[in-house]
Amino acid sequence: MTGGPARDIVADEIAARAAERAGPDSFALVTLERSLMLRFAAGRPTQSTAIDDVTVEIAVPFHGHVGRASTNAVDDAALAECAERAKLAARAAAASGNGDFPGFGEPDDLVVARDTFDPATAELDPASGAAGLEEAFSVAAEHGVEAHGIWTVAEQEQGWALGDDYPGGQDAEAERRTDAFMKVICIAPSGRSGYAASSSVTAADLDAGALAEQAARKATAAGEPAELPPGEYPVVFEAPAVGWLCDLLAGCAFNGLAHAEGRGALDGKIGDAVAAPAINLADSPAHPRTLPRAFDAEGTRKWPLPLIQDGVAHGVAYDIRSAALAGDGAVTTGHALAPGGDAAGPHPTNLVLAGGGAADEAELCAPIERGVYVTRLWYANVVRPKETLITAVTRDGTFLIEDGRITRPLRDLRLTDSVLSILARTTALSRDQTLMSDGEFYGRRFAYGVVCPALRADAVRFTGAAG
Amino acid sequence: MRDLLTELMDSARARAGYADARFVRSRVERLSTRNGRLDELDSHESEGIGIRVRVRGAWGFAAVRGTERADAEAALARALAVAEAQPAVPDAGPLAPEPPARGEWSSGFERDPFEVPLEEKLAVLVAADAGLRTEPGVNLTRARFSGFRTETTFASTEGALCEQRVTECGGGISAVAVDRGESQIRSYPASHGGHVEQAGYEHFLKLELPGHAPRVAAEAVALLSAPACPHGRTTLLLAGEQLGLQVHESVGHAVELDRVLGREASYAGTSFVPADGIGSMQFGSELVNVTADATSPGGLGSFRWDDEGVEGRPVPILRDGVLRGFLSSRETASEIGLDRSGGCMRADGFTRQPIVRMTNVNLEAGPAGSLDDLIAATDDGLLIETNRSWSIDNRRLHFQFEGEAAWEIKGGERGRLLRNPSYAGVTPEFWGSCDAVCSPSEWRLISLLDCGKGEPGQVMRVSHGSAPARFRDVEVGVA
Repeated sequence: MTGGPARDIVADEIAARAAERAGPDSFALVTLERSLMLRFAAGRPTQSTAIDDVTVEIAVPFHGHVGRASTNAVDDAALAECAERAKLAARAAAASGNGDFPGFGEPDDLVVARDTFDPATAELDPASGAAGLEEAFSVAAEHGVEAHGIWTVAEQEQGWALGDDYPGGQDAEAERRTDAFMKVICIAPSGRSGYAASSSVTAADLDAGALAEQAARKATAAGEPAELPPGEYPVVFEAPAVGWLCDLLAGCAFNGLAHAEGRGALDGKIGDAVAAPAINLADSPAHPRTLPRAFDAEGTRKWPLPLIQDGVAHGVAYDIRSAALAGDGAVTTGHALAPGGDAAGPHPTNLVLAGGGAADEAELCAPIERGVYVTRLWYANVVRPKETLITAVTRDGTFLIEDGRITRPLRDLRLTDSVLSILARTTALSRDQTLMSDGEFYGRRFAYGVVCPALRADAVRFTGAAG
Repeated sequence: MRDLLTELMDSARARAGYADARFVRSRVERLSTRNGRLDELDSHESEGIGIRVRVRGAWGFAAVRGTERADAEAALARALAVAEAQPAVPDAGPLAPEPPARGEWSSGFERDPFEVPLEEKLAVLVAADAGLRTEPGVNLTRARFSGFRTETTFASTEGALCEQRVTECGGGISAVAVDRGESQIRSYPASHGGHVEQAGYEHFLKLELPGHAPRVAAEAVALLSAPACPHGRTTLLLAGEQLGLQVHESVGHAVELDRVLGREASYAGTSFVPADGIGSMQFGSELVNVTADATSPGGLGSFRWDDEGVEGRPVPILRDGVLRGFLSSRETASEIGLDRSGGCMRADGFTRQPIVRMTNVNLEAGPAGSLDDLIAATDDGLLIETNRSWSIDNRRLHFQFEGEAAWEIKGGERGRLLRNPSYAGVTPEFWGSCDAVCSPSEWRLISLLDCGKGEPGQVMRVSHGSAPARFRDVEVGVA
């Protein structure tokens, strides 16, 4: 419970004990979390949270059904009790007939993730975080704005093990990861706000002063805020907004379970042009800028998965269950969120959108006579998944583009449009890519993000005002 | 556990201006079917201790699994170290006073959902799923059961020591129909996980999921060929889950005092409601009366004490449309000069610290009779039922919702089914346009199982009571 040096990896040992108690054909996934989050508002600390916890998930396949149970205790008696609950569920399910789950299998050994762990980050040092807060407060004060945000670091250890009777190969594995995230929202006395965030494997990459500077400049941009009526406008989306769009698209279009059930946006469209030729989107778990992962929640090795290539729909992500349902030779692509498959289906967690030729956001703005500059989106929700129709509001840095450059702040807007349509109307992307994460950590911490550039799209539909 | 927490608080008293500790044991069971096959068969259990301290105005919180004394003491040390490392908050005021919570409380149930054999629960789900698949054209059918049990022991440096045990249970069904590029869903009794109450297995059975399944499936298929909701301005009738969600998003979150004071600006956002608006801010029409009631029977926001030991009670939020109160904590209540916290601090398990949350934020019933009476009294309009999608800006001002289904109202009668219904509005204008709320006989609780807030994220289960209501001149067909 201290923030001391990193400890020996134990997740695979716990997983092996759990799987042993669950018996043949079973699978155990163990996730240990040690994390620290410091929250601040209006230039003062408000909440801080230190967590030391573990989740042991045991999955027992039986006649095509998967019974699952979890616990946060790791002694043998608790693991045996947890295994018994999983077995009980599987047996109860089997009474209704056979299911579709083919069983956990031994994955191939293709790609090993890299740079997943930074010992200094794993120290979880509250003084380092507090220094970051002080720096952000200082920069914000220089600009006459309030600083709000979070600084957070974590060490996570994840391991899996198979029960007995799996022939050959590796039957247990573990990976240790660190992640660090900071965001700063600066709010000016006018009420205008600006946003900047950074995410990395390494806490040392978080530059609190630079983030505060970037956010403060947006919050204090000169000019009276303009208003635009609902309508269609050319838009430059900064990377944080592009990240949101890509992640929403993943849920609608690349979910192999929805695809297999005919509900997916790419149902019947694999091989079709669905986006502009400049759009190349893949799940790349070992990309140098992503938060790398070696395996998914079913122990399947992760490897690069093309999703859209040169604007053409190429594939979707599967876990074991959805691949079995899809048939036609489909296999898991290493995107399970839970052993035996999450009820919502698989999800690509290392999306990478390839960059384009534009030097920066200013160059993206250059051809726009009158348009909208969007820093980030907020409260996004899918309206009609098969159409990839989403709605969201702009937030923390929305500007009017006039005659090729940003001229003044713009009142926030509600965007309601199809993500695939936006990507089809994309006319340029920036060269540089950034890892975008929202730093949202519900349940057991699962840090992930989208590596993406900024982009320009024509005729994006806005349906009203916001903010 | 009581002794351990008491001793921890004795230790904390010397180093912190205030501290509290919660031991939480959680148990969750989720079962579901998918296209006739059993899908989720999940059972989750966890337990641990979360300790919160306040040092020089800065908060520290540390959570550790298990119940070992050494781990709990280490958690206290970690919470103190984290708080002490923070920049000081020299102007932090006192917490609003509260008598120490003492005693025990359990929510009621007739039949313990965790004692019902799995096979019995699965049989209901399988029957409901079969009923959904009687309609040709349905692609995906789901039936769900959820059971929750949360046991909490709370202690503070002010002498509080209390225990609570809450049992919740419920479920729901849904059918998805797909035809070419169109996908439609219908759910019962609500979308997003169905309807859960603070109750036992008897509540799940009362939902009568198998009996409603054929209608739900038929409506999903009918929506595929239904006309689209037209764009324009009209009279809007909301009921059940959609009205509950409207209350949740545009009233409940807007009156959370931490948001009002800017403490949630980095994530959930702020609020258009001013901190000094009590007694003067006109939030809605005089028919709009809202109460945050932590004593509503069956409500998922009901408890004897909140997670900082404040006794739950009804708190007026809106009376005759005027702002009368906030959802608050001891810290935020004190900051705006309230005598007492509203008792709204709730935490998502032992690994999260309590934050300001909704209890049961209820729209009180009015005099407009039944839903049929309200339809009969409406010449032209739209009735939207069951939520499909929702979004509202970070000040809780501009919103846009989509429902699963809508019906035209013409000449006081329910007419054609419409697909893809949506509406948008501005919160005070929308509630100001409310000109009818149905009578107490129509008042029902709905549940929302996944309200997200806080950093790190916390998911809370809440309920909202309401009777169907009517709103004039609302923009519809926006998505």
